[in-house]
Amino acid sequence: MMFWISIAALTAAAALSVLMPLARTRQSLALSSDGGPAGAATGVPLDADVEVYRAQLDELERDLERGLINKADHASARTEIARRLLAAEEERTRRLQTPERSVGRSRRLATLAVIALVPLLSLGLYLTLGSPDLPDQPLLARLEAPVENQSVDQLVARVERHLSQNPQDGKGWDVVAPVYMRIGRPEDAARAYGNSIRLLGETEGRLTSQGEALTVANNGIISAAAQQAFEAAVRLDPQAIKPRFFLALALTQDGSRDAAVAAWTRLLDGADETAAWVPVARQHLADLTGTAPAPALPGPDAAQVDAASRMTTGDRTAMIEGMVAGLDERLRSEGGSAEEWQRLIRAQAVLGRADAAREAADLARTALVDNQEALAQINALVAELGL
Amino acid sequence: MIVELGHFALVLAFALALVQSVLPLVGALREDRPLMAVAAPVSVGLFLLVGLSFLGLTAAYLTSDFSVLNVYANSHSAKPLIYKISGVWGNHEGSVLLWVLILVFFGALVGLFGSTIPAPLKAATLSVQAWVTTGFLAFLLFTSNPFERIPSPPLEGQGLNPILQDIGLAIHPPLLYVGYVGLSITFSFAVAALLLGRIDAAWARWVRPWTLLAWVFLTLGIAMGSYWAYYELGWGGWWFWDPVENASLMPWLVGTALLHSAIVMEKREGLKVWTILLAIFAFSLSLLGTFLVRSGVLTSVHAFATDPARGVFILGLLVLFIGGSLTLYAWRAPMLKQGGLFAPISREGALVLNNLFLSAAAAAVFIGTLYPLALDVVTGEKISVGAPFFNLTFGPLMVPLLLAVPFGPVLAWKRGDLLAACQRLYAAFGLAVVAILFCYWLWGGKAALAPLGVGLAVWLMVGAVAELITRVRLFDVGLKRGVARLVGLPGSAWGTAIAHFGVGMTVLGIVTASAFQDERILTMRPGETVELSGYDVTFDGVAPRRGPNFQEDVGLFTLRKDGAVVDRLEPSKRIYEASRMPTTEAGIHTAGFSQLYLSLGEARGDGGVDVRVYFKPLVTLIWIGCVVMSFGGLVSIFDRRLRVGAPTAARSRSKSRSALPAAAE
Repeated sequence: MMFWISIAALTAAAALSVLMPLARTRQSLALSSDGGPAGAATGVPLDADVEVYRAQLDELERDLERGLINKADHASARTEIARRLLAAEEERTRRLQTPERSVGRSRRLATLAVIALVPLLSLGLYLTLGSPDLPDQPLLARLEAPVENQSVDQLVARVERHLSQNPQDGKGWDVVAPVYMRIGRPEDAARAYGNSIRLLGETEGRLTSQGEALTVANNGIISAAAQQAFEAAVRLDPQAIKPRFFLALALTQDGSRDAAVAAWTRLLDGADETAAWVPVARQHLADLTGTAPAPALPGPDAAQVDAASRMTTGDRTAMIEGMVAGLDERLRSEGGSAEEWQRLIRAQAVLGRADAAREAADLARTALVDNQEALAQINALVAELGL
Repeated sequence: MIVELGHFALVLAFALALVQSVLPLVGALREDRPLMAVAAPVSVGLFLLVGLSFLGLTAAYLTSDFSVLNVYANSHSAKPLIYKISGVWGNHEGSVLLWVLILVFFGALVGLFGSTIPAPLKAATLSVQAWVTTGFLAFLLFTSNPFERIPSPPLEGQGLNPILQDIGLAIHPPLLYVGYVGLSITFSFAVAALLLGRIDAAWARWVRPWTLLAWVFLTLGIAMGSYWAYYELGWGGWWFWDPVENASLMPWLVGTALLHSAIVMEKREGLKVWTILLAIFAFSLSLLGTFLVRSGVLTSVHAFATDPARGVFILGLLVLFIGGSLTLYAWRAPMLKQGGLFAPISREGALVLNNLFLSAAAAAVFIGTLYPLALDVVTGEKISVGAPFFNLTFGPLMVPLLLAVPFGPVLAWKRGDLLAACQRLYAAFGLAVVAILFCYWLWGGKAALAPLGVGLAVWLMVGAVAELITRVRLFDVGLKRGVARLVGLPGSAWGTAIAHFGVGMTVLGIVTASAFQDERILTMRPGETVELSGYDVTFDGVAPRRGPNFQEDVGLFTLRKDGAVVDRLEPSKRIYEASRMPTTEAGIHTAGFSQLYLSLGEARGDGGVDVRVYFKPLVTLIWIGCVVMSFGGLVSIFDRRLRVGAPTAARSRSKSRSALPAAAE
């Protein structure tokens, strides 16, 4: 509202700057034609010329008085000005004898044009060019807006800004790391865990989370770096379930069948049967000891993600779901690489949402339509997952 | 709201400029006073609106409002405050907005302080100024809108070109623009006079101060740009005949000519028609300069085609304004009354000579700048017109002009006495000859022409002083009265002398710095010393260093004279992180007016590094001379007398010594 009032005020002021002189000088003109000196209203330019020359003459006299010029120069300059003055006076007389034209109509026309044109043109043009409903968005205000009004991206940017200025703030890294995981940026999450470990020291939780982030970033394959993290976590807490789970998984992925069987067996030994991870571990064990050495679940990566999600209780599931939702949202709005699309399709399939997975596959095909190689990968994945 | 209000103010200014383009002019042609009276308040209104718009954009830059596309593309939240402000005009859209702001600022100056200008002239002038404003506002709104928004803005901007993150380049464009655009007001005066078919006495009075004001800023802007190139580009050169530089030099040359012909018009009512033509040309060349820099034709004639909307629009404006005003000139100029007659040997004659040479020089620069572009467009052939062309054309034109400079002020109006003028200059001539001989004695035949150049500079400087001294007859009337008379001299006389003295200083700087420069280009290893013009320069090694947004390799040098350490220089090569763009920073030691200039080249594998060392005698005089010239211009602006140039009476020609010309100056 303030905005439209300001616009109206500006427009009015602009129109008035034209209308005021039009109205005012008409009055003063009427006055001067009553009793003003002859020729005040007409022959203006010639008056100005005569004025200039008269002022020049006055100044010449003053210069002579102050001794700035000598007599001879004064005389010749005086003659020069007088000559010009005479010519100007003649011209002025000639002008005064020509009659004044009537000009009232053009003024009314001008007034009308201004009243109509200035607001119409400026408003019309502004509405086509401008964005009146977009507020100012100064960076500081955006970053300092109440937390509940900010998007996750904004909050992350805020923390990143803070961390770029205070890179030694370990607590900050600790806070941002799980958020990175949730919004589908596992590489950044791994880096953030790395920083918090460097600054705040190793704990079982941080090391495990770092390993997990590295694993997710690596499409579920446990890399050497991730394995080191899990091993370090186990050294700190030999009874911790999660790192041992991943280490067992690593052995499974490596195809070290005997070692893997031993690891899963040790893990399940004395486990709380109600824990969410137990069925997954049993499944792996069964696969290894059963007929097929290869995993029977739809894809090893899927199994891990699945397992990780069920390991602890509800919030872990929620976190995975949040991650997937974040990835989904990001890919829909901004698009992404073939790799990211595959991650989404796989995740949806693993969460048991076949429809969502199929939809993601369709979206991926549209998004990657120009990329033959990626299309082939997507199709292969869809076939693999049996969608 | 501030941003959108700025946008609306710009649109409103466009509508108001349209009104201003028509109403006052119609009023002036029909002698309708109320319509003419519209001009002054609207000119102020236009300035306030565009000012509001500029403030809106500046506010967006200061608060890093990345919802404005222009801010997102050219700013970064971590940038220092000064570069956030200079970022406003460090890009295409913002710089055009600044252009328009200065345009309406000059209009408002005329509207506010032009109460002595006859109403029709004032009204028509402001209308013409509004035409130009309308054209550029349309350019801004329809092709280069700085207020374009992004609905969901990113959280960080893309940053400013590192080359522009320099204090010199932060203030160089506004100076240059005030100069360029200041010439618009003389253009508007000239077109108004053509439209009205009449040149008033007041016309003549007003043109000179306006031209001077623009000229002062143009001079400073060019000097600043030249100094920036000197310390930033690492070649030790101060002028490259680069098209961008030439684009600013052409309006300066014509503006200088205009300045001098305006004197003739103001004092003798002569050269009116010619002055009008010069006024049109001066601003046309400013427009051309803007076109060259803004359309992208300079980087490549093909860059013009990549963004045709902008290039074609500004080319259209160019054709419209230049073509239109020249057509108007061809049609109306013959109707204007010519002014007073004069003999060839007279102050007027000298100023005509000045005009001829300056115009020819501007034409030479024009051809050298545009011919390669035209050839590229027509045949696709790429040629480069460099210093040799300009040395052969521009140089020879300058020498006779500079030789004639001291004669101008000592000649009388209408018909001068060359003999009397020479007598007033004999001291200057004598000193110049002494200077030449001294230079030959000092440097021998090392550079045959250089001592003559030094002589020319001395001739200019002493000539300027001699003019003042002989005018008050310092040695005839005694020191005390003489000094009193000097103080009483009008500002314009002082201005002329100071500006001409400045020209001499610049010439001296150019001659000595180019002819007697001592240079070494070599590879130095840490610990090595090179001897140059009495200095021992020791290379201590290279150290890496981190700046706020760049990394640099700094060369550490110690400067000794007669064994004593006089300075430590740290020239460097920088890489800006955001753009990976390298820049060089020269290390400069100033001693008196001379400078020792150090610049780093490529690093060799073995710890050695290529180094360019120059000793440039009196090099700073080049820029100090420009500043002195500008100061002379300022002194002259504040001389607000009504000036009249009276010819000397014929009888006084017989009395040789006492013939004191141009008394009423």
